[in-house]
Amino acid sequence: MSGYLYEKDLVAMKYAILISTRHDRLVREIAGDLGISPQNLRRYMIERFDMILMENLPARYEAGKAETGNDAPLADALGRVMYTRYIPLLERENMNSILGQVREMIANGTPQEEAVSRGKRMIGEEIRR
Amino acid sequence: MKKTVDVSIPIGPVHPCFKEPARVKCETRGEYVLSAECELGYMKKGIELIMRGRPWQEVMFLAERICGICSVIHNMVFIEALEKISDIPVPERGALLRVIVNELDRMQSHILANFSYCYTIEHETLGMYLLDIRESAMDELERITGARVTCAYIVPGGVRFDLRDEDAVHLRASLDIIERDMKRYIRMFEGGPLIALRSKDVGVLTKESAKEAHAVGPTARASGMPETDMRLHHPTYQKLNFKPVFRTEGDNFARIMVRFEEIMQSIDLIRRCLDMLRPGPIRGGGIPSAGETVYRGEAPRGELSYYLKTDDAGRIVDISVQTPSIMNIEACTHYMLKGVASLADVPSTFISADPCIACTER
Repeated sequence: MSGYLYEKDLVAMKYAILISTRHDRLVREIAGDLGISPQNLRRYMIERFDMILMENLPARYEAGKAETGNDAPLADALGRVMYTRYIPLLERENMNSILGQVREMIANGTPQEEAVSRGKRMIGEEIRR
Repeated sequence: MKKTVDVSIPIGPVHPCFKEPARVKCETRGEYVLSAECELGYMKKGIELIMRGRPWQEVMFLAERICGICSVIHNMVFIEALEKISDIPVPERGALLRVIVNELDRMQSHILANFSYCYTIEHETLGMYLLDIRESAMDELERITGARVTCAYIVPGGVRFDLRDEDAVHLRASLDIIERDMKRYIRMFEGGPLIALRSKDVGVLTKESAKEAHAVGPTARASGMPETDMRLHHPTYQKLNFKPVFRTEGDNFARIMVRFEEIMQSIDLIRRCLDMLRPGPIRGGGIPSAGETVYRGEAPRGELSYYLKTDDAGRIVDISVQTPSIMNIEACTHYMLKGVASLADVPSTFISADPCIACTER
């Protein structure tokens, strides 16, 4: 056997965290919101987050929800603060670029609801990539 | 010109200052910490899985085994969640006795946390003084509940044993001794120039960052968030006119001082409970029934939340425990450690958040 114990593969442990009652609810809620599968979202989180951030996701999600309404209405609807600060799925630049595209859609006559829904699908695409 | 290097330095999983195994990986430039990550998994118990399908009579003992340091609050939150589901009332004497035991547990936990910090910054003298006085709180816990840890004192509808008159007198005498000694130790901590060098403006957690990571307990209250104290919403604490302690600096010094101040506050709360104790029943009736709830209580380290689902026979269908250390270790790793000027301050900053890996890896 080679390799240090503390450098072992953490995928199984991270997956165990993500399928606990609270985490599973959170993953399904976010995946539903972004129109992607829970499996895709779990894989993305396992690749990007350390274990303590994963453990803390339900509490951060709760804190993020409490902050909803403090950002610009369109950014709020898209979940800018939630998905960049509280559940850091995207870099701020990527999110701002998506927000810019959503604004453009609205300016070109797309109803706000549909533009936001398309914006969320773009976030989902970023995660699936 | 001095060469700047980027090095990834792992601290732990085994470290002389860590009570339990955790691996903190610091990305550094020289001595400066650019960012940190924390990996766990060295002592995962899977206790939530063990609890599922068992009757509440077994699970109440398992709940307090999640953490040996704050076992009383795990017992209390689990039982109060059951009481909320089943609408079981608690007699006033029983409710006050719960607060007494809970505050004694908070005192010993805070003293242990501050001992760990003093030990980490190499102030072993104060550390040993604190360990010594912690024994008085532990002795009182044992005298009232029959055990130092995992007391299983709180049961649905009240508490297991009454407080005898001679124990109340002994408790008051012990509180006087602890108060006298703690005042001296607080002065030592506040006035120590070397302590200040290692603690002030080190590991700062701003209020915004604390909110983002959902920091709780003394860690959040040291960053100016008194509203995070769950005791504000507890009916017995409301009767005691409870006001949370808080500071605004957000550094290691503030976190330790909040714990010291909370120890003094706990002494005061226990005295008030003893004054309010009237003869009466300590345990009412009630049978746990089917239902689902989320119940929160204030553990020594912060908000402890239990999601509980039971069936008609009082069996636990589903349970999920969110312990305060999860939030505080995350706040510590991703916010406090970021920007620490010296690697030597990493263990002390980590310890200042009072991390409990047993709770985190429940």
